[in-house]
Amino acid sequence: MRGFGELEQAIMDAVWAADGPLTVREVLERLNRERAQERAQELAYNTVQTVTEILHRKGWLSRAKDGRAFRYRSTKSREEYAASLIDQVWATGADRTATLVRLFDAMDEDEVAELRAALGERRERRERGRGAGDAGSRS
Amino acid sequence: MNVAVLLLGYAALIAVLAPPLLARTHWAARAPRLGIWAWQALTATVVGSVVLAGLALAVPVLPVSGGLAELLQACSLTLRQQYGTPGGGAVAASGTALALAVLARVVWCLAAAVLRAWTERRRHAAVLAVVGRAHAGLGVTVLEDARPAAYCLPGQGHRVVLTSGALAALEPGELDAVIAHERAHIRQRHHLVLAYAEGLERAFPRLSLFRTAAVETRRLVELAADDAATARTGSLSLATALVELAGAGGRPAGSSSAGSPAGPPASLAASGGQVAGRVRRLLGGHRPLHRAVVWGGALAAGALLVLPLVVAAQPAMASTGTKSCPLPDAPVAAWGVW
Repeated sequence: MRGFGELEQAIMDAVWAADGPLTVREVLERLNRERAQERAQELAYNTVQTVTEILHRKGWLSRAKDGRAFRYRSTKSREEYAASLIDQVWATGADRTATLVRLFDAMDEDEVAELRAALGERRERRERGRGAGDAGSRS
Repeated sequence: MNVAVLLLGYAALIAVLAPPLLARTHWAARAPRLGIWAWQALTATVVGSVVLAGLALAVPVLPVSGGLAELLQACSLTLRQQYGTPGGGAVAASGTALALAVLARVVWCLAAAVLRAWTERRRHAAVLAVVGRAHAGLGVTVLEDARPAAYCLPGQGHRVVLTSGALAALEPGELDAVIAHERAHIRQRHHLVLAYAEGLERAFPRLSLFRTAAVETRRLVELAADDAATARTGSLSLATALVELAGAGGRPAGSSSAGSPAGPPASLAASGGQVAGRVRRLLGGHRPLHRAVVWGGALAAGALLVLPLVVAAQPAMASTGTKSCPLPDAPVAAWGVW
């Protein structure tokens, strides 16, 4: 089912890249134009329609009737989704680390300034230490 | 009865002594993986002792059924004598109840911790699969966000995630250090280590042993990952990267959308000092404990873990020495039977 996930991603990419809402036919044309460049096999209309409908059901796309077809638009921008994921990582509090482990944390500005200074000093000492033997090894 | 008292006393002793003696010791920072193992062994041995104490109370009235009963009649008599309990049925029943209650609580909370983390990770990964872009060169997933951040989703289908803000803020050497740190979390299966510690903390939130164990474990897995990363890239790169990420982290940068909160949630403030401590440790020159000391410590922790089993099995082993017990007198076999 890995290919399915990739198709979801490709459809969302096409919708996000477009200026306005797209019909399934337009999504298909965009995807196949890309695939022609990569010499990949063309996608069938039904496949794209099915996966687009799945994305609609999952809440990624909203749709509106336009003549005989539906036009799909993304409910949120890619940046909004990315921001919500990062917010989620931040909100993963100190007692929920088993879910994901993050490598960034809050520090107050004084502390950051102090550590930056220590880092700078260390780097300088290392540069000098290269010339002057093991002068900098004691710490 | 004696066995049960001994086991409960042992559990109480460790629960009382371990937190003040072991937390904030200097050697744990010098050998974080040993520290993690020590906390795991201590918490497991306390739970194990209490469960075994309950079972030891229950042994004298254990129903032995059928032909086995006849065969072992004399033996079980001896066993009853060895585990002899004044008070009989009531004490045995409460012992069984204690063992079952503790065991059920631990299993339930551990399973819940693992399951909850797994569900949240899967939900997160489903969105990430559509929104994130693979960075072929670094082998990581990149999220478009101006806030510099790095984290990993461990477990099956694990991945390291960086924001575009982090890619822009960090030099190549620092990026390598950050990625090596996250990969170490994944490789050393720290999500399971943390799920164990947090599951026990939830099971018995009143006991300072489990609270301290969880806090220390969270600190030590970071140190262990730092050590693994600096073995590859040098400590200065990682220290710089930590300061860059922490210095800029949380502040919603100008272009960030979606009305993200103005600062990190309150729960983070408590761990704020942790990064500073880690940077100082990286700058101060890491002096790992001697290999022999680490092995000695690991064996000592293992001995603490096995001790309650030996204490609980001791009367049974003693019975195999008597003539009435038709068990092979090799103690190895007696272990299997008991």
